[in-house]
Amino acid sequence: MNKIIAIAKKELAAFFKSPTAAIVLVVTISAFNVFFYLIIGERKEASLHEVFKVMEFFFIFIIPVLTMGVFSEEKRSGTMEFLMTTPTTNTEIVIGKFLGSLGFFSVLMGITLVYYPILEFFGSPDRLAMLSGYVGLWLEGALFIAIGLLASSLTQSQLIAAIVSYAILFTLYFSTVFTKSLSGSSEDLLAALTTASHSQNFAVGLITPVDLTYYLAGIVACIFLARVHIENRALE
Amino acid sequence: MIDSTSMIKVKDLVRKYGEVTAVDSVSFEIAPGEIVGLLGHNGAGKTTLMRILTSYLPATSGEVLIGGKDVRENSLAVRRKIGYLPETPPLYPDMNVRDFLAYAARLKDAPAADVDRVLAECDLADAADKVIGTLSKGFKQRVGIAQAILNDPELLILDEPTSGLDPVQVRQVRKLITNLKEKRTVLLSTHVLSEIEHMAQRVLIIKAGKIIADESLNTLLTGAEGEQEIVIRMNGDGDDAVRKIRDLRLPGVETIEVRKLQQSLESVFIKLNE
Repeated sequence: MNKIIAIAKKELAAFFKSPTAAIVLVVTISAFNVFFYLIIGERKEASLHEVFKVMEFFFIFIIPVLTMGVFSEEKRSGTMEFLMTTPTTNTEIVIGKFLGSLGFFSVLMGITLVYYPILEFFGSPDRLAMLSGYVGLWLEGALFIAIGLLASSLTQSQLIAAIVSYAILFTLYFSTVFTKSLSGSSEDLLAALTTASHSQNFAVGLITPVDLTYYLAGIVACIFLARVHIENRALE
Repeated sequence: MIDSTSMIKVKDLVRKYGEVTAVDSVSFEIAPGEIVGLLGHNGAGKTTLMRILTSYLPATSGEVLIGGKDVRENSLAVRRKIGYLPETPPLYPDMNVRDFLAYAARLKDAPAADVDRVLAECDLADAADKVIGTLSKGFKQRVGIAQAILNDPELLILDEPTSGLDPVQVRQVRKLITNLKEKRTVLLSTHVLSEIEHMAQRVLIIKAGKIIADESLNTLLTGAEGEQEIVIRMNGDGDDAVRKIRDLRLPGVETIEVRKLQQSLESVFIKLNE
């Protein structure tokens, strides 16, 4: 556990030293603020439902940028050899890196919590729906990070890692549009796999075991595959 | 068979990359406290061999025991025994020296106080708060060595520890390794021949994945196959030597003695690689 924490802390610190991560943080928060202002101003509703949708959409673009270097940069610079020859298990390495990235993402999400007192000041928001919306958004971000980590474990190139994770996230998010052209069990299957069908429930205050399982299983699967992959890279 | 007296025991080790055999039926043993140089051309299989010893790469076949423990079956226990400096020092350029060593110490289960010890041992105390990316190559190499000696490993595996350094830095790193070897088993690879002559007691020469020589440095340099030379002391003009030797009865030759020629390691190496 100590090693997981050490790796997570080192990863988190690396984000705060990285110009890319700093730019992502500033640009994303600025964009969120603009959308918050526009959406709330137009709808006159004390709800973050629509803002959450915008945030979710942003995650498809920002998370691949945040996670692209997590493994690929270690491989490129040779530090992977250092990590993997210390008495640290591959599982500890992957989980540590996941938690470090999740930590930075949580900081980003934490900044948006300021929207809550603003809404509370001007109206009476549905607190439960907002809380569950944040839980859903955070879980979705965690799943996207796990996917980004998996993509980063596949290559030495940050660019390829970013493109691969972007392609997966894009497919996962937008495949919902294809459900309209399908029917029966294939429609149900696709609907079950897309993120949109799960995040919507959280946004309206519904936390169901199915949705929780979807995110947690997805995260565990990606972490497991990333672990398998860094092990196999060493086999090459 | 486990031989508990060996620090490193390698038996019939083979490592293939597809069709290419990088390490080919290699067997050797290194006793505790030995300082062994691994010598070979670039691409001879030195790095692959070291990566297998550190459990970073699995072998295709064969057996590797470190301190009596199998590198695959007891990978974590083996990694605890080893301090490893890869060919490229594994450093994070945006971290400062102390933070990096503290991070490495946590991953290696070393006590936090060990960081100060290795900083002192590698003469890095003044650079402790500097960002790694701003350090010179020689300093970076010392940071790489410092992380390798965290938690006081029984075995040090150093892959090309002086490569790419200028002569002054080479001397500093060489001195550092000479101090380190007092209490440890050291396996160091290089293609710089003088490194081995300065530091090692025993030499393994690897060529195309095979060990082609495994001798003590002394034996290798004055070996049974050493060339012999005839030393002729002459009163006369040296330029006449060849002509005078041809004519065996020429006057002016005072003594003729036959003695073994001390070969340079370089000549042994080149000959073995022919």
